[in-house]
Amino acid sequence: MAPEMKRGSFWSWLWVIIGALYFIIPLVSTFDFSLRAKKGELSFLAYTRVFMDVKFWDTLGFSLLIAIFTIVLSIILVVPTAYWIRLRLPQLRSIVEFISMLPYVIPAIVWVFGAIRTFSGAPFFLTNTYFGTYVLLVAGYVVLALPFVYRSIDVGLAAIDVKSLTEAAQSLGANWFTIMFQIILPNLKVAVLSSSFLTLAIVIGEYTIASFLVGIKGFGPYISMVGQNKTYESSSLAIISFLLTWGFMGLIQVFSRGKAEGTLAGAH
Amino acid sequence: MSRNSLNTNPNKRDARKARPLNTTWHKWLGVLPFFAFALLFVVLPSVNILAGAFKTNEGKFTFKNLVGLLEPSILNAYWVTIKISLTTALGGGLLGFLMAYSVTVGKLPKPVRNLLMTFSGVASNFAGVPLAFAFIATLGRTGLFTVLLKNLFNIDLYAQGFNLYSFWGLSLTYMYFQFPLMVLIITPALDGLKEEWSEAASNLGATRAVYWRKVALPILTPSILGSMILLFGNSFGAYATAYSLTGGFINLITIVVGSQIKGDILYNPGLGYALAVGMVLVMAVMMTIYYYLRRRSERWLPK
Amino acid sequence: MKRSILWVVSAVMILAMMLTACAKAPAGGEVASDDPLADLIKAAKEEGTLTVIALPRDWCNYGEAIDTFKTKYGITVNELNPDAGSADEIEAIKANKDNKGPQAPDVIDVGYGFGPQLIEESLVQPYKVSTWDSIPADSKDPDGYWYGDYYGVMAFEVNADVVSSVPQDWADLLKPEYKGQFALSGDPRASAQAQMSVYAAALYNGGSLDDVTPGLEFFKQINDAGNFVPVIAKQATVAKGETPIIMRWDYSALSDKDALAGNPNIEVVYPASGTIAGIYIQGISAYAPHPNAAKLWMEFLYSDEGQNIWLKGYCHPIRYEEMSTRGVIPADLAAKLPTFSGPIAFPSIDQINNAKQVIADNWMSVVGADVKE
Repeated sequence: MAPEMKRGSFWSWLWVIIGALYFIIPLVSTFDFSLRAKKGELSFLAYTRVFMDVKFWDTLGFSLLIAIFTIVLSIILVVPTAYWIRLRLPQLRSIVEFISMLPYVIPAIVWVFGAIRTFSGAPFFLTNTYFGTYVLLVAGYVVLALPFVYRSIDVGLAAIDVKSLTEAAQSLGANWFTIMFQIILPNLKVAVLSSSFLTLAIVIGEYTIASFLVGIKGFGPYISMVGQNKTYESSSLAIISFLLTWGFMGLIQVFSRGKAEGTLAGAH
Repeated sequence: MSRNSLNTNPNKRDARKARPLNTTWHKWLGVLPFFAFALLFVVLPSVNILAGAFKTNEGKFTFKNLVGLLEPSILNAYWVTIKISLTTALGGGLLGFLMAYSVTVGKLPKPVRNLLMTFSGVASNFAGVPLAFAFIATLGRTGLFTVLLKNLFNIDLYAQGFNLYSFWGLSLTYMYFQFPLMVLIITPALDGLKEEWSEAASNLGATRAVYWRKVALPILTPSILGSMILLFGNSFGAYATAYSLTGGFINLITIVVGSQIKGDILYNPGLGYALAVGMVLVMAVMMTIYYYLRRRSERWLPK
Repeated sequence: MKRSILWVVSAVMILAMMLTACAKAPAGGEVASDDPLADLIKAAKEEGTLTVIALPRDWCNYGEAIDTFKTKYGITVNELNPDAGSADEIEAIKANKDNKGPQAPDVIDVGYGFGPQLIEESLVQPYKVSTWDSIPADSKDPDGYWYGDYYGVMAFEVNADVVSSVPQDWADLLKPEYKGQFALSGDPRASAQAQMSVYAAALYNGGSLDDVTPGLEFFKQINDAGNFVPVIAKQATVAKGETPIIMRWDYSALSDKDALAGNPNIEVVYPASGTIAGIYIQGISAYAPHPNAAKLWMEFLYSDEGQNIWLKGYCHPIRYEEMSTRGVIPADLAAKLPTFSGPIAFPSIDQINNAKQVIADNWMSVVGADVKE
């Protein structure tokens, strides 16, 4: 029996508690402020006002929809690519990584103006219709989330032996689709989940791209609008959007739980 | 049939022979969608920005904007931004790593891990105006925490010299979204650390410290480095939080870009684009350093 | 004789019919002055949409203006980026030159100093609203490319629950009792509002319309006294007490006061020695996808109704003088605007642009109110 000790426990708890405190204290302050909409007493008035605002629901629904499309498109684009790079084209890895890091350093405001200029004219004319604009919006968010998604997937792939798995599957007669959907993706469950979390949070809260492409239809611009002129509602809205995003992520986790258990962490 | 499984042989040609499907065009097909997308939505706008860096307000060609990058206040802005990015990448990276460690190798209960993961997902993007205000509400002069410390423990933070509206205050605020990001990125890698390895190491007489130094950390280093570069970039490009907290009074490059492109006053978008190009260059330098370090750390890993 | 009576009766009947027909002609009982605009209204309705940018609903009561326009003419209004600054609006026009889609703004509302640039860079098309003549001459471009819409006056917005003795004048800002309590509503290197605060300070602390450096020095003094907080103040930070004294346009301050409704109590004070006015101007984009809707919007804003909506939002509409001589300003609205008898300076475009440059270039070096490391 290995002298594997419970030594981890105390420090593990300590770090998690420190982290938890760091997370929670600023939220507590915001929450406290949001309760003061009525002078001299604590009340949920700021919350009811937000929930009764039609624009809250409209913009939230809109951004959620955009987020879903973004997540799906990201995964479709990134997973096969990262997989292929690892397997066959390692020489391209540096290029792909650089591309995936570019969105980081291009400030969103610079990107959105560049994108509007590029895509509003010939030959794309993307921005002439609402639909085209939404396509551009999703593309923008995929670009924005790219560093996170790529890094997550890449780290996830690093943890499994891609070559062996693929060879083993191929020697058993699997084609590429089977390999991708039944071998690779299940093993990337954690990475795919965490990149989905990140993308969802990014899209819901994003302000710059949304405000220039769709204006106050987006949730981010809505939050900003409230923040300018409604003090207590902006705090309550911050808490609400925090809880909402958290809830959605919990849902994603629940949905994937059935398949998450019993993943192969890589055959050796 | 010769099985080249457990391919510790870096000679890729051997591996390929075992696969009949490996025609050249087929190989490139797999990455085509990504490159097409990247070309359209990353490269094209970037080229537009690059072109914009060379234009004046009227659209004529000029080098003036690039020369403008060498102005001392702008160079200072780059430096301050790099400093805060390094600080929060290291600080956030460390705390994030420790937390991720706790819920993976540290074997805390599954519910704690799930909670941490979802919370990290949300917190990593809780940035901008709400985050800035949350910290003002916590650590500002009239912040909850500040007042609490004063009333309960008689500690006056601001008299001691603490100031939320400072480099360190901003770093503290940045770390709020940095270390959850680290948690999210590094957890899959920590999951990949096999228990068998640590057991095997201890069977051979290694203490935990040795195990970490010689087995676990070397394996994890590429991922840790990769995550930290991500954190660096995240902080480097942050705008809304800094603007909301320090009101543009701190000399960060994103704020300078913003004031050129967005503001009511300065309005020199050509310079703004040139600044963005400068930011890309800085990231390119960081990436190069990262590649070098990673290549060194991956030397002995099976590929 | 009977024939003449017949003629008279027929004539009267025809006249009566014509009169009733005329009385019914204006749609929905609208003001008869809409008639000259009938063609414009029709063309605008055909376009069906108006895209606006940088119009926060709480700014000058734009929310009500937009809603009234929508219901009155049945035209959808697409509201882009309410937080955009003047430069954003200009950039949005430029970026959307070939684009007739929903991101291209039809109309813009920018700072006074941007007028010449709008013409130089061919960003706007000329249009003279029907009430053109009642717009003061120095607030509009003679060819109709841009035209002043409203102005605001710089004031102190004070959280009266936190600050027991409210500052009344510029010199008060230096008092030690206000340590760590004063902030600006923007970065003077990027925000027009913050710039005008510095400009105003200059005017009444040893400077003039052409010499703005005393303003910078004054803020340096505030910073040295430890009274300056280097954060961008908003309604929330004032309400929290983190920045209980700030400088803002009076209409923003007054609408904050309404929004907070006593929680906390806000006082809006014009500095006694004097203050400054800031004019904003309107223009129709040269590349507007819906030019007729844009023109109709302008007609609406410059009508008595539109101007009074702005007045409700505490802005001083540009046609105020003319409207008050005609007596079309409701007394209760007129009473809402606080009176101030001190000097209010109205800088010219050149003076503003000059001051902008000086402040932006020298804020950091003179005031040094940068965030400490």
